[in-house]
Amino acid sequence: MMTKKILLSFPQKATGQPMAMELIKTYHLDFNILKAYIDDNVKGTLLLEIKGEEADIEAGIVFLRQNQIGVKDIQSIVEVDEKKCVSCGACTAVCAVGALEMTDDWSLVHHDDKCLECLLCVKACPMRAIHAII
Amino acid sequence: MAKTYQEINEKIARGEAVVVTAEEVIDIVKERGVKEAAEYVDVVTTATFGPMCSSGAFLNFGHSDPPIRMGEITMNGVEAYGGLAAVDTYLGATQPSQDKGIEYGGAHVIHDLIAGKEVHLVAKSQGTDCYPRKELDTWVKLEDLNEAYLFNPRNVYQNYNAAINASSHRMYTYMGILQPNMGNITYSTSGELSPLLNDPLLKTIGMGTRIFFGGAQGHVSWMGTQFNTACPRDDKGYPQTPGATLALIGNMKEMNPKYIRGAVYEGYGTSMFVGVGIPIPILNEEIMAFVSVENKDLYTNVIDYSVPKKAKPSLKKVSYAELRSGSVDINGKIIKTSPLSSLKMAREIAEELTNWIKKGEFFLQEPIQSFPMGNAIKGLEIKEGESR
Repeated sequence: MMTKKILLSFPQKATGQPMAMELIKTYHLDFNILKAYIDDNVKGTLLLEIKGEEADIEAGIVFLRQNQIGVKDIQSIVEVDEKKCVSCGACTAVCAVGALEMTDDWSLVHHDDKCLECLLCVKACPMRAIHAII
Repeated sequence: MAKTYQEINEKIARGEAVVVTAEEVIDIVKERGVKEAAEYVDVVTTATFGPMCSSGAFLNFGHSDPPIRMGEITMNGVEAYGGLAAVDTYLGATQPSQDKGIEYGGAHVIHDLIAGKEVHLVAKSQGTDCYPRKELDTWVKLEDLNEAYLFNPRNVYQNYNAAINASSHRMYTYMGILQPNMGNITYSTSGELSPLLNDPLLKTIGMGTRIFFGGAQGHVSWMGTQFNTACPRDDKGYPQTPGATLALIGNMKEMNPKYIRGAVYEGYGTSMFVGVGIPIPILNEEIMAFVSVENKDLYTNVIDYSVPKKAKPSLKKVSYAELRSGSVDINGKIIKTSPLSSLKMAREIAEELTNWIKKGEFFLQEPIQSFPMGNAIKGLEIKEGESR
């Protein structure tokens, strides 16, 4: 058994179909829906933590991609735009788990595997360089 | 052996000046001692890159045909001051836009102008005999303007408080987000690299001092507002609370958008990150001793921002070395510390200024007037009564 976090992007034509149900029925996968944004007939985004046998997970992902659904491995929905970031450190003030911290040379580093997605850093960033992808 | 500004400038012109940053000079003084180091080093560069709200730009748009005496002015929806002459304005960094609020303010317009972007200019007027036009709606770029210079009334604080929140509610402040129950501490300084902490008694920094300002060569134009040289100091003279400030001036057309950036403090407002570098000439041993200061010897107070009064209590006096360590112990509680100004960018600015001087592109300007010591700041008394 393994656990994996994936971000699914549904194009317009795939928004009306019960894709997640197929993952359970055909591929025997368990999943937690962590975030969902589905606008029927427009587009959708789904952040899932899926659990199952490695082969089943891979087959499930192939199935999703065959149905034009974008699948991306992901650790955190928080992204830091390095072009906008000036490494001031304001975001580290609110990151309780140390996912955002300053290196020894005072650059900002983002350990996305530690992120709990509280999203306080999005508000704390004066450069608006941090955003949630969904 | 003392040096003069002229002697140092002659060395810069010959490409022989020894220029190091205020961080690098610490080890040089440890190895060689103050006396020898003062002979060896000619210039020490200092820098900072942090939020400086009291900033803004004077702009002159040139006259349209027919001309207008601009009364109400907006730039990308941000109001600029209409109380100057016909096509002059002052655009303040913290002014929020009418449509996007604090997410896009005067500082962002200033950044966009420096980045060469077109800005939407709308102006209205009553119309006068000499300025008949009543409305104007156009797009301008920095290169289209006659004059455009930053004039920042209060920048590069000599020292500043660290912030904490002892209340039970999260606070959104200009010192960033402060978590309840003393959950974190924020501070804003480049410490031992900071310009005015390296010249605590303003022996070399005064009116006219040439500086690195937003990527251009600018000048110190006056003492900054809330200039406090009567602040508490340690026995060597370093301020232990907010002290001196500087008013800075520089040509926006020569600036780099990397060093002037719009900033947003959630729940507080717009601010501007300003990149400033100041060279300190090593005229004598006293000045060399001052610039060799280290973070462990520079102190500030951890102030409780949850007290809604002007005089907020200090919970602890701490050194910048303690703040930089990542945590501070207050009454047995280990509290995380976080910076708000970018030391990484400050180092980049100090390096760039060092290179300018080494390449003979930047010369030192001796102040034409020194700033007063012992200058205290006043508060504002609220007087009762509607008329007098």
